Amino acid sequence: MQFDIVIVGVGHQDTTVDVREQLAFSGNGALESGLRRLAAVPGVEEAAIVSTCNRVEIVACSSVPESVGEGIEAALAEHRGIDRGAFAPHLYRMRGREAVRHLFRVASSLDSMVVGEPQILGQLKESYAASAAAGVSGAVLHRCFHSAFAVAKRVRRETAIARRAVSIASAAVELARSIFDTLDGRSAMVIGAGEMSTLTARHLLASGVRSLLVTNRTFDRAVELACECGGTPVPFDQFARYLHLADLVVGGAGDGTHLLTQGMVQRALRARKQTPMFLIDLAVPRSFAPEINGLDNVYLYDVDDLRQVADTNRQERGREAEKAERIVVEAVDRFWSWFEELDVVPVIVALRQKIEGIRTGELARAGATLGALSPEQRRAVDYLTGAIVNKILHRPLTRLRRRRSVGDDPQYVRMVCDLFGLEDDGLADDTEE
Amino acid sequence: MDLSLLRMAIVAYLVATATCALELLAPRPGLRSIGLNTLRVGAVFHAGAIGARILSAGHFPITSFSDSLSVLAFLVVGAFLVLQLRWPIGSLAVVIGPLAFMGTLGAHAFHRGQPTLPAHLQSALLPVHVLLAVLGNALFSLAFAVSLAYLVQERRLKAKRVAGRLRLPPLETLDQLNYRFLTWGLSLFTLAIVSGIVWAHLVWGRFWSSEPRLMWAMVTWVVYAIVFQGRVTVGMRGRRAAALTIVGFATLVCSLIGVNFFTPGRHGGTFG
Repeated sequence: MQFDIVIVGVGHQDTTVDVREQLAFSGNGALESGLRRLAAVPGVEEAAIVSTCNRVEIVACSSVPESVGEGIEAALAEHRGIDRGAFAPHLYRMRGREAVRHLFRVASSLDSMVVGEPQILGQLKESYAASAAAGVSGAVLHRCFHSAFAVAKRVRRETAIARRAVSIASAAVELARSIFDTLDGRSAMVIGAGEMSTLTARHLLASGVRSLLVTNRTFDRAVELACECGGTPVPFDQFARYLHLADLVVGGAGDGTHLLTQGMVQRALRARKQTPMFLIDLAVPRSFAPEINGLDNVYLYDVDDLRQVADTNRQERGREAEKAERIVVEAVDRFWSWFEELDVVPVIVALRQKIEGIRTGELARAGATLGALSPEQRRAVDYLTGAIVNKILHRPLTRLRRRRSVGDDPQYVRMVCDLFGLEDDGLADDTEE
Repeated sequence: MDLSLLRMAIVAYLVATATCALELLAPRPGLRSIGLNTLRVGAVFHAGAIGARILSAGHFPITSFSDSLSVLAFLVVGAFLVLQLRWPIGSLAVVIGPLAFMGTLGAHAFHRGQPTLPAHLQSALLPVHVLLAVLGNALFSLAFAVSLAYLVQERRLKAKRVAGRLRLPPLETLDQLNYRFLTWGLSLFTLAIVSGIVWAHLVWGRFWSSEPRLMWAMVTWVVYAIVFQGRVTVGMRGRRAAALTIVGFATLVCSLIGVNFFTPGRHGGTFG
């Protein structure tokens, strides 16, 4: 028997959102009670819960890595009040180096739905913080998560994995940023309120664009979108008069005619003293006249141009991901050599084994008198004794875990061994294995 | 002693240039900071070289062509290194590096020891005149660097080939910096010309001589004045302003190099 790192969870690759939804720990309370529930699973020494919209994973350090998965699954099902059958087929279980590598890849956003997206690192930090706050993480998970954060930072620093936009809307924002020094306080106009133009407008607003003018052939639709996004509707036959106010112009649903002509843009440019304009034509067929791009200080991108930018970026991310994988493997090696030297672990295992041995021994001995108990009562007794053992062991084990290795404070560990008589049986057995 | 420091600066600038060129050809993280750091190292050596010249000359050495070129290159690098802390223009090291390298190389090549100035030309106005000209030229060099970057970035955006290349600053940043450099550069350059005219009047009793150097300086001034005027009145900006700024810099380089060494005149290499 030895300590190992175990991951049990579901990810976006092989589950649908409704499965993940059922398992998700949303809200601080859920996370905390979940952590406590997990810590009570026999064999779970340390635990953390990573719960995002793309994954729900339990990262645990266990003294019984072969069998702890069952317990974790049962705890998950029980905690969420769902049937195990609903999610068990989708679960993956990993242990050892594979689990560490997985955690490092998740942190580096190599396992994300959109490779390179930056949110996951923050979510992972929150997960670890919650686990530390609940007192269910120790030296192993501490080191493991902090190594994961370091890997993620290194990947971010040394590869271009997160540097490029891979969706059309974010490619538009990226392009806008290479024209304007900042998007803060800019104005944008949406001509033709379609799905894509609405999405892009939202992206722009989220990136700092302050005011939004919306125009549409059907004025009601313009008003609707304007209300949704906090913009101002403009009557369709008058939008050219306001064109000069817009630094960015987004073209949405068109009707096959060129809604925006070179002459209109020229007049707008004159009115804004040649301050640059960025025109994004998302309509198919295009609704901005292509020759507009020939004007100075105007940059016109249609949906194909944007897609090309996004595709090139995606390919680049793929290349960068290979570099990142190499960084991850290196870090796993480093972590693993540390983990293997962690010799306080056998002491913890031995202590747990010893006490657990006493508990099961005593239960067996009392079996004769307890024979009359119903199965429910028997389970209650089992649970009760288990809880007592856990309570008693909680503090000694926590204190022990904080010590990285015996080498840090040999006296301390030796005293534990002496007090519980671990040299003679438990520890010796373990080292013989 | 001062030349060996200058040589070290030249080598550092050359390494910085090579690193930036490599980044341009095969972008990879880390090259940028190596380039910037070697540029910083070069600037430190360069400052040492100028300091050594101050010690050996007993005053701020700026009146010989070699010295003024060295100070010019140092100002360009120094200003760039300071400005890139505030503005996202680190990628312009690819232009600043070669400028610094060529400036220091020129300063080294044309080093002729202590210049001897005819007594009738000695005046307190001389260092003022040269310093103003050097400051103006430094700002014009920076304007050149941002203009070049502007043209490259603008062409990329127009041609829709923006992905996967060396990242340049946003167009607007480049244009704004260009405007600032131009405004300050033109002001100082104008003052340099005025101080030269006053000095000429004091020495010779006339305001102007028809030596080629002065003609080129006037051409340079006119080009930059056109850009400035265009910007202020008709809203000329972006590509045209950048292209004209580069033309202005070309005339500046002509007047500095060509005319100083291939035509006779009082602005020649050693003020002979």
